[in-house]
Amino acid sequence: MEQVMKVSRLVRHDAGARPAGWQEGRSPAQLNPQAGTQPLISIKGLSKQYGPKVQVLKALDLDMRCDDRLVVIGPSGGGKSTLLRVLMGLETIDGGTVQFNGNPYLSFDEKTQRTRMDLTIRKQIGMVFQNYTLFAHLDVLRNLTLAPCKVKGEPRAAAERRATSLLDRFGLSSKARAYPAQLSGGQKQRVAIARALMLDPQLMLFDEVTSALDPELVAEVETVILELASQGMPMVMVTHDMWFARKVASRMVFCADGVVIESGTPDEMFKNPKHTRTREFLNNVLHVS
Amino acid sequence: MNYSLDFSWISSGLGLLWHGLAVTLVIALCANAIGVVAGFVIGMLTQSKSRLARLPVSAFIEFFRCTPALVQVVWFFYCVPIIFNVFLSPFAMGILAISLNLTAFNAEAYRAGIQSVPRDQHDAGVALGFSPFQRTTLIVLPHAFRMALPVLVTNGISAMQQTSLLSVVAIQELMYRGKEVASDTYRPLEVFTTVGVLYLVVSVVVAHALRVIERKRSFNYSAA
Repeated sequence: MEQVMKVSRLVRHDAGARPAGWQEGRSPAQLNPQAGTQPLISIKGLSKQYGPKVQVLKALDLDMRCDDRLVVIGPSGGGKSTLLRVLMGLETIDGGTVQFNGNPYLSFDEKTQRTRMDLTIRKQIGMVFQNYTLFAHLDVLRNLTLAPCKVKGEPRAAAERRATSLLDRFGLSSKARAYPAQLSGGQKQRVAIARALMLDPQLMLFDEVTSALDPELVAEVETVILELASQGMPMVMVTHDMWFARKVASRMVFCADGVVIESGTPDEMFKNPKHTRTREFLNNVLHVS
Repeated sequence: MNYSLDFSWISSGLGLLWHGLAVTLVIALCANAIGVVAGFVIGMLTQSKSRLARLPVSAFIEFFRCTPALVQVVWFFYCVPIIFNVFLSPFAMGILAISLNLTAFNAEAYRAGIQSVPRDQHDAGVALGFSPFQRTTLIVLPHAFRMALPVLVTNGISAMQQTSLLSVVAIQELMYRGKEVASDTYRPLEVFTTVGVLYLVVSVVVAHALRVIERKRSFNYSAA
């Protein structure tokens, strides 16, 4: 516990030293001199099971650099979404460790059989879900400012200024006072991305964010994500959209049966997949699409 | 039928009936204020992971849902002072009896409301760094309250009508005053019809007003 507390303090110091963030388009490599030398995320032997029989992650190992835009692909039930949920701290784990920026973030305590998590680090990760998850009782502006005001103690006027500028950037300024039910799917998802960015995360997780959208609305969300990617925002994305995966990824990971089968650059993965499982999966998916 | 209706008799007892109506409304308002707040607390406790927390609240809800309200009122008035050595004014005791009954029913309404909060709203709360208390107050409570509102309104109106049961323990609410006026005037038909109409008018007005508010404040949650 003491170790976790020490880590928390260290990370808080680092976060505090960090300039305004992604609105300024700076990457962690620019902000953190050590960025090139140590992975942003280092996952070792990560295991997760639901009940006694269903093991979703089986001692999964994965590293992600600070300048990576990691896209995780693979068959349904292969553990992709679970991996993201674990990284967000939404699921407990049954084994392994996760380090963030070289600091312990998640671990499994064998003695107490409990997951240990550094909550300060969790606050530096943002996540966007498939189903938007906006708060229906709040208008768009309040959806964006609630967490900065309540979690970070930011004055409401300052948070609203930032939110307005972010909405403007995402082409949503006219929707600031609209309620989620009055928005299209694409607008909701852009608001959800803006809401996550309001907390100035060091890492963004996108879990099939375009899956629930009508085809004609997909592009507006993908454009926003591509814009973030072009600014060097580190991200881990799960998607079934291979075209988008190829466009946004700096590195791709094929995940099946709870382990990483293969990883590489988009070109390596699409043109010359080494593993049979990867080849079969890509053949099926690309044939269908 | 040889009986001729004559509502002019009511005018002699109108003052008493108004007074009774005022007492009824005060008791109903107090009971609803307690029931709305305590119902949420009990409703939340029914969702607790701790069996120790769930067991007593489940027993509380079952007791008040599965025994007649009239029995509860009488039991409170005669048994609580003896068993718990608590002596309250009849008025306070009346509010307590009605509000505890309402709390149990409201807790069930909240439980349904809380369970209707989609799992991903909770996930979003975690992802945005809210503490469990903030998730409850900022995300779950507003959602659960809106979902539970129609049932809370129905329960609140029922509680207002249940205040008539307090007439058996001599609380001078509308029904009690009605009985008084009926005895004085020997015109039970007119008096109890008037009493019934008063209950009806209050219930309809409250239900309508809250329906308007509900319509204005409701959102399409499935689309969020």
